[in-house]
Amino acid sequence: MPQLRMTGRGLWITALIVPPLAFVALFIVYPIVSAFAYAFFDWQGLKRLDFVGLENFHTVLFVEPYRSWTINAFKNNVIVFFALMVLQNGLGFILAYALWRELPGARFHRIAVFLPVVLSTIIVAYLFKLFYHPLFGVVNITLKGIGLGWLAQPWLGQSGTALGSIIVAQAWHMVGFPTLVFLAGMQRIPSEILDAVRMETESEWVKITKIVWPLVAPSATIVFTLLFVGAFNWFELPYIMGGLDGSPFGSTDVLGLYFYRTAFGNVSAGQQDFGLGSALAVIIFIFIAIVAGVITTRLRAREIQL
Amino acid sequence: MRGHRGQVEGILARLSLRGIKKRFKTTDVLHGIDLEIGDREFVVFVGPSGCGKSTLLRLIAGLDPISDGDFFLNDQRMNDVAPSRRGIAMVFQSYALYPHMDVYENMAFGARLMGLTRDEVEKRIADAARMLRLDELLKRKPRELSGGQRQRVAIGRALVRKPDVFLLDEPLSNLDAALRSDVRLEIAKLHRDIGGTMIYVTHDQVEAMTLADKIVVMNAGRIEQVGSPRELYETPANMFVATFIGSPRMTLVDVTRNGDRLAVANGGSVVTGALPEAKNLKLGLRPDAVKLHRGAAGEGLAATVVYTEYLGDNAYVYARLADGTLLSARTTPNDLYAPDEAVTVTVEPGSAHYFSAEDGRRLTP
Repeated sequence: MPQLRMTGRGLWITALIVPPLAFVALFIVYPIVSAFAYAFFDWQGLKRLDFVGLENFHTVLFVEPYRSWTINAFKNNVIVFFALMVLQNGLGFILAYALWRELPGARFHRIAVFLPVVLSTIIVAYLFKLFYHPLFGVVNITLKGIGLGWLAQPWLGQSGTALGSIIVAQAWHMVGFPTLVFLAGMQRIPSEILDAVRMETESEWVKITKIVWPLVAPSATIVFTLLFVGAFNWFELPYIMGGLDGSPFGSTDVLGLYFYRTAFGNVSAGQQDFGLGSALAVIIFIFIAIVAGVITTRLRAREIQL
Repeated sequence: MRGHRGQVEGILARLSLRGIKKRFKTTDVLHGIDLEIGDREFVVFVGPSGCGKSTLLRLIAGLDPISDGDFFLNDQRMNDVAPSRRGIAMVFQSYALYPHMDVYENMAFGARLMGLTRDEVEKRIADAARMLRLDELLKRKPRELSGGQRQRVAIGRALVRKPDVFLLDEPLSNLDAALRSDVRLEIAKLHRDIGGTMIYVTHDQVEAMTLADKIVVMNAGRIEQVGSPRELYETPANMFVATFIGSPRMTLVDVTRNGDRLAVANGGSVVTGALPEAKNLKLGLRPDAVKLHRGAAGEGLAATVVYTEYLGDNAYVYARLADGTLLSARTTPNDLYAPDEAVTVTVEPGSAHYFSAEDGRRLTP
């Protein structure tokens, strides 16, 4: 094994590596490990009581009413993930393709598509709450204005439409991100390859499905993984637009809200419980880590070197 | 559907370019190209970088729109026909293989899109693979191939579509020198075997001379001359073609006619044979048209040796004439000259070229 002598070079390397390592240890590794530890204890407020083993995990997964809450929140996260996959990533790919083809006004549209990403989530949430307002919201007013008044409804106020409405707001907010990543991926495709395809077909569909899509696979890996992590950590928009209880009737409840409520408590859900909250956090963390790992390795395998 | 007819059975592929112009925004790149290309001809577009030869090829392929003029393929106007429907296949400089498909799929992709049956696609790929020695490589991805192999796949991909016209855009420029002459021979053989009309773009005059039935010399968006390699070398239409074709380049000297002698300003005079009428001329001398004699005393043009290039089978001597022109002369390897040595230059009778001093056009005696 080569010995790292404390020469000038060795000192430099040490001096440069130690601060970030310390930072990561203090602010990332330590909290995660602590959360793990918290999950195995009984808590009373901020006071740690007895070691209870897997009791907390058992409670959130199998004991009512926690069990139903967990399942409901998880189910909603799954819906959010698949809906955003289509609305945000699917639309992002199509937008990227259109921008890449340099249609008229591409420069303007490139900015227009990315601009919402820069907006604060709070502002987007508030904006869409106004849009969806049953009486004064621009959505219902527009529907009435074009003779589709029968479609107007309290978007955020009923179980059937609340989650979907928040998902649309999220897709609008973040669609610029996958667009940008896909666009960068498309711009890496050598122009002669596109010329070669044009010599063989004029079908946009064939070009997209057989050439462009496979060649932007590296971008897809990044975008899919981040969307998955984002969808299961979703918190801000449902918190602001649906409230901490995931109202109405838990229809906008997601794991993030549920964890927050359980760990820190709120008016309707009662006392805070760090033990159950930490158990939930650990379960969410492990689930995301495993699935994200699988997605990444699976998609990596089909990436192509240009 | 066009383009899947065999060439060997005697299908015509005549191209006719009439007044073709290309404008990028406000810049004119091609200023009206008129050109006829016959069936099964091997035509090479040659010229310096930026002369418009690749642009012209892309217009023929349909990859860029034609700004003005008409392009006919077998008397059918092609200006507005999509590239994939022109019956034209193209081999790109970077090969442009699809990186995510193996060799077989690269060749099958276009063939399938033509609506051929599975058996026909199989058969065509098998034929192309045999002809191009790709049998062992069919399951490989492009990144696992060498430059020469990629080149052959790119040609194979064009072959399986059985196009009427093959376009090749500087296909050898990414290969190393040794491979280049091999692939050059293969392309010549391929043209003999399949007999399609081929249009080949290069800036390398050796490729042009060795491959072409017909060379189109281009410069600054115009055609300077069209002809066989021999015509271009022996009777260049103007000074541009004269200096572009042939290596080392032809030397051009300003001379004044004085009876049957041509004089260089304060540098002696030579007899070169029959002369054109004009008084002031450009005298064009290829390296093999001149003879060097040691010493400054003799009858001819005075010159001073600058350096000698020894090439094994022969040697080139570069010498400066009295008016400052650098002249190249071919000598035998046994006949080397030292730098700064004074020499006298004479011209082999009948081997000089003459050009107008005003517009650079060829003058005949």
